[in-house]
Amino acid sequence: MTRKPRVAIFDFTGCEGCELNQLNFEDQLLDILAHVDIVEWREAMDDRAGEYDIAFVEGSLSTPDCIKRIHDVRRRAKVLVALGTCAVTGGVNAVKNTRPIEEVREEVYGQDKYLFPTLPALPLSAVVKVDHNVRGCPMTQIEFLKVFTALVMGKRPIEPDYAVCVECKLRENECVLERGMICLGPVTRAGCDAHCPTVGQYCIGCRGLVSEPNIAGMEEILVDHGLSLDDARRRLQLYNANQLEGAK
Amino acid sequence: MVRFFLERDRVADLVKHLMERRTVYAPHRKGRRSFAFARTADPAAVVLDYPRTLHSVKKFFLPPREELLRFDLTDDTFAAGEPEPSGAAFLGVHSYDVAAVRRLDHNFSAGNAERNYLVRRQGAVFIGVGFEPDKFHFSGSVGIEPDDTAGCDAFLTKLLDGYVLEILTPTGRELLKGLELPPYEGNDPPAHPFQQHIYVPQSRLGRIMDKSYEHPVWAEASRTCVGCGTCNLVCPTCYCFDVQDHVDITATGGSRERTWDGCMLRGFSEVAGGEVFREGLPERQRHRVLRKFKYLSDTTGVPWCVGCGRCTAACPAGISIANIVNRLVGDAERTPVAPI
Repeated sequence: MTRKPRVAIFDFTGCEGCELNQLNFEDQLLDILAHVDIVEWREAMDDRAGEYDIAFVEGSLSTPDCIKRIHDVRRRAKVLVALGTCAVTGGVNAVKNTRPIEEVREEVYGQDKYLFPTLPALPLSAVVKVDHNVRGCPMTQIEFLKVFTALVMGKRPIEPDYAVCVECKLRENECVLERGMICLGPVTRAGCDAHCPTVGQYCIGCRGLVSEPNIAGMEEILVDHGLSLDDARRRLQLYNANQLEGAK
Repeated sequence: MVRFFLERDRVADLVKHLMERRTVYAPHRKGRRSFAFARTADPAAVVLDYPRTLHSVKKFFLPPREELLRFDLTDDTFAAGEPEPSGAAFLGVHSYDVAAVRRLDHNFSAGNAERNYLVRRQGAVFIGVGFEPDKFHFSGSVGIEPDDTAGCDAFLTKLLDGYVLEILTPTGRELLKGLELPPYEGNDPPAHPFQQHIYVPQSRLGRIMDKSYEHPVWAEASRTCVGCGTCNLVCPTCYCFDVQDHVDITATGGSRERTWDGCMLRGFSEVAGGEVFREGLPERQRHRVLRKFKYLSDTTGVPWCVGCGRCTAACPAGISIANIVNRLVGDAERTPVAPI
């Protein structure tokens, strides 16, 4: 390798939890820096750069300014990686898309709403080409490092496209539904190593859906386990509002 | 056949006896209402009266995740993993799970022998235990009774106040030598009836499956199927896997890992170029069922489903493989089979 790849990290609409998680890689940070130069990262440094080999982008797009900025990032980046569920699916932010945009704007900003233009929360892929995804709310270190390593090696990262159930089974977890809880694992994309079910929680679907989800089937499963259809839909909507809108 | 009486209070003595001689894997409680095979540390924690474990003993011979080799990118070398013979005593295994291991033995030894499985399989001793069928078991319909001792070195049959311990092989006799037990001279304990059945034997199922390729049941069963793959992953005779290479963060080396996979999962039938050759859930559902009752069964004469009921019990949507098969049987019996 003649020079180290230049990496930049950007944030849009989100809680910055994914980025914070990157700063928490104390054990791997030096290894990461051995392979790349981080040239721009608002949350951690002051420098700005012109061009980058890899841009990691967190957050959904929810204002006209976001749209302008993401085009700018895309122009400067050879590879663009969506970081975290907000960037990949629109995430929790997209719940607002289920209501009229003006109503949401007024509820949040009241009479000052004209100062804050807003758009439905979109995944990055709705506006620019996204090369790879790191899912999760927040994204996990394990998965970030897998994608990162693949990119540094010049390989295509493998994104899991199977349900969290698979990972529960690989760990021989007792089924969450068996424990009397409601779980979105059957349609939620794996990659988290079934973290929540393994520690006694249920899956809330934070990684978005598998690529061909049977939503009607999942709704029926949830109803069979005691939810009303409305509750089942709300539960599925939490991280998948954009996808479910599209599916309708 | 040598039969002994094992009083209920002395089950722990049996476990201790085994633990002094071998590593013991037996069913233990897991979670709120599940059971799993685990290495026994405390004889009192072993549960012999259980409906089914989450996974079968397959997991000890074909682990869910397994490192096949480690490679070094600095000098382009690799070292394959060295699996060890289990040599363990598997206590409290149900007849259908022993039957499943025998089917896997065929899968991993016919054609290209699979070293890792076969090495791990060496020295395994099975001490079976009878079971009371619940609403999901239907092993009787595929020729495996609850007190079927095939493949076992010893077998426990439940009585009101204990167990009949039957010694079946020289290995079993050797292992249980020194365990002082009175002989059992009573009658055979009564067999428990099955609540779930498949209505025809395998000898007729192959042709029924032939006729059922375009049957509407595949689409109907897929209405609530979410394609989560649970049915594959809990199946004691499913043996498909995926292999992936993982590079360490230092980029100087990494490992090749094998992971259980399943034909209900989309990625399983995705090939180079991105084409998915079994596109929808109905096609995958059909493939799963035919894998159990046709493809391997046509050549071996036995169903590859052992009737443990795991896929049905674990399915989040409650899809029943026995119901699917019975539906096909019912429709095929109504339609005359064309002469060959």
